[in-house]
Amino acid sequence: MTLLTSRFAHADWWWSDAPAPQQVQVAEPYLEWRTGPASGYPIVHVVERGEWLTLLKRKTNWMKVEDEEGRQGWVDIEDILLTREGSGDLVSIVEPRFDDFSTRRWESGLMMGEFDSAAVNAAYLGYWMTEHLSAEIWGSQVLDSKSEIRLASLNLLHQPFPQWRLSPFFTLGVGQVFIKPKSTLVNVADSEDTAMNVGIGLRYYVTDRYFIRGEVKEYKIFTNRETNEEAIEWKIGLSIFF
Amino acid sequence: MENWTQHIFLKRLLKRRLKGMHKRTVLIVCLFLPLLAQAEAQTEVQAVDSDTPLIEPDVRPQVVDEALIDTENFEVGAFVGVINIEDFESSLLWGARMAYHLSETFFLEANVGFADGGETSFEKLAGNVQLLSDDDRNYRYYNVSFGVNVLPGEAFFAGKYAFNTNFYLVAGAGATDFAGDNRFTANFGAGYQVLLNDWLALNVVFREHLFDSDITGESKTTINSEISTGLSLFF
Repeated sequence: MTLLTSRFAHADWWWSDAPAPQQVQVAEPYLEWRTGPASGYPIVHVVERGEWLTLLKRKTNWMKVEDEEGRQGWVDIEDILLTREGSGDLVSIVEPRFDDFSTRRWESGLMMGEFDSAAVNAAYLGYWMTEHLSAEIWGSQVLDSKSEIRLASLNLLHQPFPQWRLSPFFTLGVGQVFIKPKSTLVNVADSEDTAMNVGIGLRYYVTDRYFIRGEVKEYKIFTNRETNEEAIEWKIGLSIFF
Repeated sequence: MENWTQHIFLKRLLKRRLKGMHKRTVLIVCLFLPLLAQAEAQTEVQAVDSDTPLIEPDVRPQVVDEALIDTENFEVGAFVGVINIEDFESSLLWGARMAYHLSETFFLEANVGFADGGETSFEKLAGNVQLLSDDDRNYRYYNVSFGVNVLPGEAFFAGKYAFNTNFYLVAGAGATDFAGDNRFTANFGAGYQVLLNDWLALNVVFREHLFDSDITGESKTTINSEISTGLSLFF
């Protein structure tokens, strides 16, 4: 019964046996605790060098800790990185850094902009096959006063200087365009065409695992009418690598 | 390694044997020899490893494993409220929300919401006139917004409880599907979040949705106000 209650008391009881507590020892002269995970919350407690803290959970750049007397509070991750673990070494929590920007494989982002002077919302997922070459899958929605256009495309992307914080790239893609005219327009049918696109852009590493990305693409839509259509699209957005 | 005691006794033994000494002496020496030798060996070992503790602690130093620390940067939840659809009355709104906290200040959120548009005043006055079919009255929106926690704080309740709170601003874009068409929709608003505990939060949001519409004949930018409340879980 005791075993049962102690298992239930632990937050992860449905996963597994209680994992070993993750403990660190304060190495700096003192360390401040706040009531919540943001620098705006007040400091309510200070622990001294030598005290042991159990790491409970993390929210953004804040760690919830508990001391040996059961008190709990939030500590800045920068301060946690100055504590020592059982072996006596500085605690090894890996923060994503600029170095990871060029070595991580996956990235994903949300972008907004204009497609031929209509608003466009887009999302993508990319996989870096080498540090120079990536494959991306895109979904975009273009909304203007006459129609709704949905675009799905596959792109190849090449960045010549992956080690640069501000890294330019070139992209080439192919996809499908679905055009649905507004219901107030009569006698215009839905259509589906193939499109190719070519573009240039920039990726700028901001901090942590985030980067800003901006790009301009030129689309060529192969219609079954006499002329093909062309459109210029620009977008800017926030991306995350993992 | 050469052992002095052994050396001395063996030497003596050899001598006595040679001298043809009494058998009993030999026996005694033989009995004590291993004991003495052992004692000598022990003192030698202790002299070499005087740094190691007598009792080895059975707890090995622990190394922090980052993977075992729970991170809670995602938030998922549901909300219910009222949306005032321009020209089409106020309706019950319900939906889902997901947020990803980039830092203590910034977050991204995605929302989907559903409502049914009511009747225009024209439809009510004219009696038997339907501007939109029932299907087209379905109001659906999605948006992706950027949020900023501007005023973190604490709220106190019944003298006994303290909750962390956030006052935040959001702005973003998405689309609204209403009256048979999808329309680009911008939104902005403000919210108040009360964290009931580390993983459960109560949100109250006031948000404006703006989109261009020509449903009632004239082309105009409609402003649709939403007020909603919801619960969300951090994971």
